[in-house]
Amino acid sequence: MADKIKITIDGKEISVQKGSYLLDAVKKTGVTVPTLCHHKDLTPTGTCRLCLCEVEVRGRRKLVTSCNYPVREEIEVYTNSEPVVNHRKILAEMYLGRWPNVPAIKYVAEMCGITESRFTSNLTDENPQACILCGRCVRACREFALEKIIDFAGRGIKRHLTMPFGEVDPHCIGCTACAFVCPTGAIEIVDDLNHPLDPQMIRDHGMKVNAEMAVLDKDQCRMREVGTANIVDVMDAYDLLPVHNYQFGTHPETWRINSKMLKARYFTQGQADGCWKGCSMACAKTIDDFELKTGPYRGQKVCVDGPEYETAAGAANMGCFDADFLAEFNFYCDTYGIDTISAATTIAFVMESFEAGAITTEHTGGLELHFGATNETLELLHQMADGRGFGVDVGQGIRWLKQKWVKEYGADPDFLHDIGMESKGLETSEYVCKESLAQQAGYGMAIKGPQHDEAWLIFMDMVNNQIPTFEDKAEALHYFPLWRTWFGLMGLCKLCWNDVVPADNYATDEPHKIPEHVDNYFKFFEGMTGIELDESKMLDQSARVYNLQRVMCRMLGYGAREDDHMPYRAMGPVTVKEYESRAERYDKQLKEIIGVDPDGKITEERVGILRRYREDQYEKVMDAVYIRRGWTRNGVPKIERLRELGIDLPELVVIVEKDQE
Amino acid sequence: MIVVNERTRLEWRDGMTAQDVLDAMGYRFSLITVTINGEFVPKDDYDEHRIPDGADVRAIHLHHGG
Repeated sequence: MADKIKITIDGKEISVQKGSYLLDAVKKTGVTVPTLCHHKDLTPTGTCRLCLCEVEVRGRRKLVTSCNYPVREEIEVYTNSEPVVNHRKILAEMYLGRWPNVPAIKYVAEMCGITESRFTSNLTDENPQACILCGRCVRACREFALEKIIDFAGRGIKRHLTMPFGEVDPHCIGCTACAFVCPTGAIEIVDDLNHPLDPQMIRDHGMKVNAEMAVLDKDQCRMREVGTANIVDVMDAYDLLPVHNYQFGTHPETWRINSKMLKARYFTQGQADGCWKGCSMACAKTIDDFELKTGPYRGQKVCVDGPEYETAAGAANMGCFDADFLAEFNFYCDTYGIDTISAATTIAFVMESFEAGAITTEHTGGLELHFGATNETLELLHQMADGRGFGVDVGQGIRWLKQKWVKEYGADPDFLHDIGMESKGLETSEYVCKESLAQQAGYGMAIKGPQHDEAWLIFMDMVNNQIPTFEDKAEALHYFPLWRTWFGLMGLCKLCWNDVVPADNYATDEPHKIPEHVDNYFKFFEGMTGIELDESKMLDQSARVYNLQRVMCRMLGYGAREDDHMPYRAMGPVTVKEYESRAERYDKQLKEIIGVDPDGKITEERVGILRRYREDQYEKVMDAVYIRRGWTRNGVPKIERLRELGIDLPELVVIVEKDQE
Repeated sequence: MIVVNERTRLEWRDGMTAQDVLDAMGYRFSLITVTINGEFVPKDDYDEHRIPDGADVRAIHLHHGG
């Protein structure tokens, strides 16, 4: 972490991070040195050499380009010594001789005390927007867009910028990063695509994200490096990774499927190969030449699109800590058109039911479906796709299985209901939410069922304690589902909202909302349509759709309070084993939060007391959320709310009429 | 005694740094904003920034998953 070095700049002592660049240290002291090729968001190259400083290392002096000189030891720095000034003057005169009318050149030359040049020649270019060969565009192409469309060719006086073979490269996706960083305007943008009202506004805000990806991502979420698989490591560390059907939140063998393992042994492609070419986040990762061991393509080498977090966490949920299995499961789910989350959550439920004796090999067609049974899981997946054996049943999902097993096999309905992680018939996505009431409600109250695309509040609630009251949670469960619904409707990705964060985000009033990125999205909308947005307008736009969705949900028989409940597994420990695995935590909560002394009580009693408390809390948070959303106590939009939003259409009113209070 | 995120109490000791608090809490996430008595602490200073007794420490994890 902190590895500081004290250096002296023009006699002033300053403490800097070891390995940081000298130019940044110089700037900190308030000294300005001229630069041309430097750009704050691009890797420094020292090309223009104007940022020269004199450095004294162990008694020896030398000239260095400060922009790419890493400070590694104690040094004395002179930014304005005689050799420095003389070098800069000569350089400035040469630049001015070649490009006398480029404003950026004139500006830095003046900083160096040069207004006339002796070096006019037949190379002199009078164009005020001439390319000055600074190379920023080349770096932006590589670092912002992860492409190599533009580069230098020729040497010496013949050096020039070009695309391969001097032709327009069809691989250029027109991201305009090159033009964005060009200090002279030499690269012209021709906007002729979707006719946005203000393309410049869209570009300027999009380019900020590109720059953040190039500069910040490597120390933040490593989306470029490993994609969302990075979350496996984080969730495991915070006891939030679903293990053995959400019983536990961490596992000693997670390292077998985490991002380090996937990067070291599996991922082969690390370029912008994702959902659209040109995305500077490029989080989609791929495994090339993966040899399948099972199924119809056994023995063939294939390309696996992934795995991303949910798929890897699904493997943990099934207890299958084996990256070969993970890749094969990922490939076949994709190939069969089966959702990896629903498949993994359903199979995890099947496994726990099998281990608890609710079903046996008699019901599974002989498959020993213990946690971690990789071969049997893949066989089950093939059966699901082929429509044969036990796979036919499992393919129907958890709700259907529960009903069949209770009715036909005499299974305990309460136990199955507690451990079957579905709501509204949809399987839960891959996060343990036992310690976050807001996330339990985020899942349970999501319109489509417990997916995580409406609200992901685990850190805000469980770790940060930012939303302690029911009203706070309700506000979060009002804002985030509407915000996420809104950008989803606009076709904007979630990941460049909060999987990279501006360096100064901490200083904002509401850092959890990532205000600058919310503003980026508003500007994309405004740049496209010309309509200015703010939070209130955005929430209204979104609420119209969100409430319409809820009415449709009600029409389909799922949009009321009883449908917004989660199985108890989502809320707390169902079994004694589960309680005892985190006994210290739960006992402490009994004592400090509920006010019950666990001493002298057997575990079953403790499980019961905790359960009654948590279920009561869930009811209270539902009440608060319904009030905040303008819905009835039964979770149905009030007619007056529909009217307020301008969607009190007769065909909608008739659906919710009977639910009004 | 110091309080982390208005909830967890940690025993204070002389020389305690921001990094010590993060370690004690098991906070290893990359997108954490730390403030001590309302004052922001840059990541580079975690090892050196001393925590006073009675401090109100916030370690805000930004949204990520989901």
